[in-house]
Amino acid sequence: MPKRRNSPDVARRNFLKGAGLAGAAALTPAAAKAQVSAPKQNLKADVPGPKLIAVETLPPQKDPVTQTSSGGDFMVDVLKTLDFDYCVINCASSYRGIHESLINHGKNIKPEILTCPHEEIAVHMAQGYAKIDGKPLAMMCHGVVGLQHAAMALYNSWCDRVPVYVMIGNIIEANKRAPGVEWAHSAIDPAAIVRDFLKWDDQPTSLQHFAESAVRAYKIATTPPMAPVLISLDAELQENPIADPERLRIPKLSKVVPPQADAGAINELAKMLVAAESPVLICDRLARTGAGMTHLVELAETLQCAVVDVGGRMNFPSRHPLNQSFRRAAIDQADVILGLEMNDFWAAANSFTDRIERSSRSTSKPGAKMVTLGTRDYLIKSNFQDFARYQEVDLAIGGDGEASLPALTEAVKRLIDGGRKQAFEARGKKLGAAQLASLEQARAAATVGWDASPISVARLSAEVYNTVKDEDWSLVGTSTGNNWPRRLWDFKKPYSWNGGSGGGGIGYTLPASLGAALANKKHGRLTVAIGGDGDFMFAPGTLWTAAHHRIPMLYVVLNNRAYHQEYMYVLAMAGRRSRGVTDVDIGTTLKDPNIDYATVARGFGVHGEGPISDPAELGPALKRALAVVKSGQPALVDVVSEPR
Amino acid sequence: MIRVPSLLLAAALAAFGAVDPSARAQDAPRSDAANGQRIYLADGCFTCHGRSGQGGNYYGVTPILAKTQLPFEGFKMQVRNPVRVMPPYTEAVLSDKEAADIYAFLQTLPTGRAAKDIPALNN
Repeated sequence: MPKRRNSPDVARRNFLKGAGLAGAAALTPAAAKAQVSAPKQNLKADVPGPKLIAVETLPPQKDPVTQTSSGGDFMVDVLKTLDFDYCVINCASSYRGIHESLINHGKNIKPEILTCPHEEIAVHMAQGYAKIDGKPLAMMCHGVVGLQHAAMALYNSWCDRVPVYVMIGNIIEANKRAPGVEWAHSAIDPAAIVRDFLKWDDQPTSLQHFAESAVRAYKIATTPPMAPVLISLDAELQENPIADPERLRIPKLSKVVPPQADAGAINELAKMLVAAESPVLICDRLARTGAGMTHLVELAETLQCAVVDVGGRMNFPSRHPLNQSFRRAAIDQADVILGLEMNDFWAAANSFTDRIERSSRSTSKPGAKMVTLGTRDYLIKSNFQDFARYQEVDLAIGGDGEASLPALTEAVKRLIDGGRKQAFEARGKKLGAAQLASLEQARAAATVGWDASPISVARLSAEVYNTVKDEDWSLVGTSTGNNWPRRLWDFKKPYSWNGGSGGGGIGYTLPASLGAALANKKHGRLTVAIGGDGDFMFAPGTLWTAAHHRIPMLYVVLNNRAYHQEYMYVLAMAGRRSRGVTDVDIGTTLKDPNIDYATVARGFGVHGEGPISDPAELGPALKRALAVVKSGQPALVDVVSEPR
Repeated sequence: MIRVPSLLLAAALAAFGAVDPSARAQDAPRSDAANGQRIYLADGCFTCHGRSGQGGNYYGVTPILAKTQLPFEGFKMQVRNPVRVMPPYTEAVLSDKEAADIYAFLQTLPTGRAAKDIPALNN
């Protein structure tokens, strides 16, 4: 690795710094006074000694001011082989070497830099993007201070099993760090602060090492179960000339084919499903690609069985007759429960009560067979407990859910005889009627308080759908606890929905929706999101990125002027303690002053509508905002709404 | 999206609702709906059940209370010693009279109209 000691750039920096300090000292009054009052000694000049003679007569120490190659350029060449469309960044001196290379060597094309005013915004954008586009974005930030800003979004991405490709800057060699902030911004092991929620990380010490680790990182991140990875980029490596260009080589990326489950286990599962009277398929982060939903529909229709979509991805059409996602009975009455890429299978088979004595009980039918199929068990770490409670099962099948579904469907088809087919058809008809009843029940419930102000969440959700329903829409975020879109909207395309935050870290919805909008933009889809006001306040600067990079998105703020989930929790505590609940708005609300999100949006250069509190004005405001979005710009509608 | 651990409180209340609905309003003590509205909005009922009694979401869907079919005694029982996750409201913080006022207010809230008459709900 080249040494900073020999670095022309650093030597030049030190030279300039010294010159600057000397100049500044000369200007200070104290220095001027010292000059005037200096004792007059040795008026006659000294005879030059051997050192001074050498300085005056020998050629200068090697100190070039330009370079013709740089490690950063090579790094960009490596990144280009990985087919990144964008690099989301918050700029930082620790990666200035590769930053400049991305601009001038890479021509700011694949990846193109997107400027984000916070690292958490950048990572959440990458999370939202990957869930729509199916591949990671590159993300870059400061190693120490930037990575700490990014940490929450990385945790969400980890819990959500989404690949994010993070690169951070660091100065490994202590003697190469400038005094002051470069020390505060350097670490021996910068990834340590987020390693609990990374799948893999490395800190290369040579350019060849970087090339191999960069390709390896991409491969690891995109192999199911997917998760964020991190490469720490030494500043010396980025900035300095390439010492041995002829020896550098970029390895080829060979992606891992997602593993299909064991054939014997699949056949065993098929027998259980075909023999069952009331099987149910529960899915969470199942669909990795557009094919995932198609495969699940085929399996469900073959069995004519209930499907409960937990919603971690767009797994199953919301109005499909077999969709029983809002019928708890579909699980409780099942005799075979198959969990597909479930994160929390325990929750599917048990109820939990949050009272003074927290309690739980099994809700599944006695004797019901429990089976899991997925990659969840392949990537679990100790510290953070996102793996949820242990659920005992009768058969745990390892393998990628989406990749395994076609074989399962074929195995099921082989076992169905005439009698079973007839029984399946009868079962399917009953489920279809129940699904229709669920939809009608939701519509009826939505009418209560329809004309009230603040605007009901049901009406808000219905009006948004009424505005976008004829477009090629993609809903990429909803506020906490708002299940109205999933009850009322017709989700039927692979990109109609892309799941939630993963870790429940607030501040996800706005930036992740923008990342999803970026992915949807090239397909001409209309991106829409409904985000809470509390969530918005974590990362409002996202709107500037939307405006600056002209990313169209219709963003609706469900403005209930509270962190409402927490409001209800504190209220529950006050109730238990019989202390009255009239003051539980302290610390849980966002009022006095009320926040005008439309004005905030306009301040960032985004079209803003609202605050809308009259339900009759909501539809027209949404239509105006839609027109802006269809012209290629982002727009925000602030809706003063009911809590839930 | 289903939140599986949460049994719907609506189910429990629906069981209460099986009691003769004609007995509901007249069972309540003399009450003041206007005061009930004030308490409903001040004492947090609206946070889970909505200002229009339209219901909401807390550990799953919370029930619609507009013109509740619960008899007053069933309503009071749920307020004092709730099933599932609803916070209790003891007499120390909510008197029987105030509970009756809230109940009276809920009876003034309009139920929904026919969904088929609302175009935005027929997409």
